[in-house]
Amino acid sequence: MFAQGRNSVSVDILIVEDEPSILDSLDFILSRAGWVIGSVTDGEAAISAVAEMAPKVVVLDVMLPKKSGFEVLKHLRAQPGTKNLPVLMLTAKGQQQDRRIAEELGANNFVTKPYSNSEVVDAVRQLMEQAEA
Amino acid sequence: MRSPIGLKIRNLRKSLDFSQSGFAKIVGISPSYLNLIEANKRDVGGMLLQRIAANLDVELEVLTGDSEQRLINDIEEVFADPLLESLKLGPEDARNLVATNPDAGAALFRIYRGFLDARAEAVAMSNRLRSDPLLSELLHQMLSQITAVRSAAEILVDVPDLDEAQRQRFHASVSRDSLSLSDAAQNLIGEFERDAVEHHSVTPMREVDDLIIDEKNHFAPLETLGDMLRQEVLQFGGFTEVSLERALQSKFGVMVQRSESLEEDTESNSRQFKYYAEQKLMWFQGNCTMATRQFQLSRLYSELSGADQLLELVDDKRLSSPASKRLAYRALGSYLAGSLSLPYDAFLTDAEESKYDIDFLCQKYAASFEQVAHRLVTLRAPERSGIPFGFLRSDPAGRLTKQFPLPGLQLPNAGHACPLWAIYGAFRRPNEVIRQIVTYPDGSRYLFFAKSSSKRAAAYQQTPFYTSVMLACDILYADKTVYGEGLQLTNAELDVPVGPTCHMCIRRDCSHRQEEVLASVDSVNSLRTPLIDRKFDIGDEGK
Repeated sequence: MFAQGRNSVSVDILIVEDEPSILDSLDFILSRAGWVIGSVTDGEAAISAVAEMAPKVVVLDVMLPKKSGFEVLKHLRAQPGTKNLPVLMLTAKGQQQDRRIAEELGANNFVTKPYSNSEVVDAVRQLMEQAEA
Repeated sequence: MRSPIGLKIRNLRKSLDFSQSGFAKIVGISPSYLNLIEANKRDVGGMLLQRIAANLDVELEVLTGDSEQRLINDIEEVFADPLLESLKLGPEDARNLVATNPDAGAALFRIYRGFLDARAEAVAMSNRLRSDPLLSELLHQMLSQITAVRSAAEILVDVPDLDEAQRQRFHASVSRDSLSLSDAAQNLIGEFERDAVEHHSVTPMREVDDLIIDEKNHFAPLETLGDMLRQEVLQFGGFTEVSLERALQSKFGVMVQRSESLEEDTESNSRQFKYYAEQKLMWFQGNCTMATRQFQLSRLYSELSGADQLLELVDDKRLSSPASKRLAYRALGSYLAGSLSLPYDAFLTDAEESKYDIDFLCQKYAASFEQVAHRLVTLRAPERSGIPFGFLRSDPAGRLTKQFPLPGLQLPNAGHACPLWAIYGAFRRPNEVIRQIVTYPDGSRYLFFAKSSSKRAAAYQQTPFYTSVMLACDILYADKTVYGEGLQLTNAELDVPVGPTCHMCIRRDCSHRQEEVLASVDSVNSLRTPLIDRKFDIGDEGK
């Protein structure tokens, strides 16, 4: 749907989010911060996109069609190639349960909706630095 | 708990300037017997007590102190609430309050009940917020929309070099998502408004219970009507399921059907019976017992024939909402059905002659244990009454789902009762009547007898659901019942020591205790203490 980057295969950040407005904003602010962005809108597409686009960081929403964010995360952590892939999860305020599950499944960090754009950018930047280190 | 009637009688007699011998003559007993009564050395009840009350020009309740005692018990319950623990108010304070200012006591209890209802509603609301799929869906939508709006708005404000196309795109996003957000908010507010309208400070169920208790669970107009309707049914050949069917068909054109669930109506899958008013069809599940069919046919006949009288009875200022009126209408309709199927005089005679053998009465009248037990409680017509009984019903979780009080017998206001009661023991021996003599902490003694039974299962997969029904009467009447036979009625040491429910019971040495004694009576912490005792707080007495 949105920019697949200069190179159709490799991106810096993969955004997995089904709400079009949120996806649009995230794509904009993360591109503006200088990264190459890829995006998908459901959990099944996310799994194949990780393989195809080889992102350095994944921004993953919890509520997704087809496969939930948790299932995607669980799958990623079970594969040797993506076991340590940095994942930033977008959870909803008031869902403590979600945070706990995400932590157990191995998410690296969280941002709680509703968030400010700078929160997301900072969190992604932190994960990118870790990934490149 | 027995009130000191003798003293009251004496005081009232003297205030009316009657001499003991003069008054004794008026009520038809010897002066020495009256003396014994006034000294509380003899119990007095029945016709004599009514004559005494009448000649002292007071209501019966004033002498027996029944309504007073109920209020004292109610206020004890209030004082037992953890909220008031630090005030350390107990039974003595409750008695004093009722003695000196009963209206204030009644007001206190009413507020307490309102508080309990409000608290329960808050909990229910909070649970609903957490688990209602519609609400959580709405909240989730709103959260997403707020996130989108905020993010887009931030971009518009913070990013200086947006080109025109981008600017328009994000403006449109803010506009579109604000609109969706408004819609979701409208729906959410609508949900809450719906709840606010249904709120009442006293639950309908309590209002109905109170009305029934006020009327002492006896409705003379319904008894009269019941007799009349029974005569109508008898025209069709005895009082049976068949004659009821014929009567229903003849008088109202109603047909009866017995089968597995009607396919068109999935709601009927979980029910034993249903009346389809438009089709004038009374449907029964195939596995329904005859007792149930007969009773429900009586009920239908009652509701159809007695609509006017029932409506008149529920037009009562004690029923403040449509919900309570509906519940009362149902309860009174069932009462009428009971008086139809179990006609007062014949049933009372059979009850007395069989020594209140409920299983016998069940098979004689083709009724269930609960129906017979319930009917026994209503035999309170002034001149011809049966043994006064209290009635309780429990589900397998121990929750009391129906109760009719016995004056003097302290019952828990809600929830569960003392674990030693026969009502729970009956679950361990299904379909058998379990009996026991119990003693309360204040020395009053009762005969309890109970039976648990289940509805017939319709299929292997269906889990049978058991309920337990218990009747209670004062020990004075035990020898008039078949359940009192063979028991040592006079030896109180063999009684089972019980209370109403753990938190209201002062038996410190009961090995079955499940909850702490109410703090106001006894601030000793005896349950679930560490092996080595220590103080944990200022003012904590430790063990």
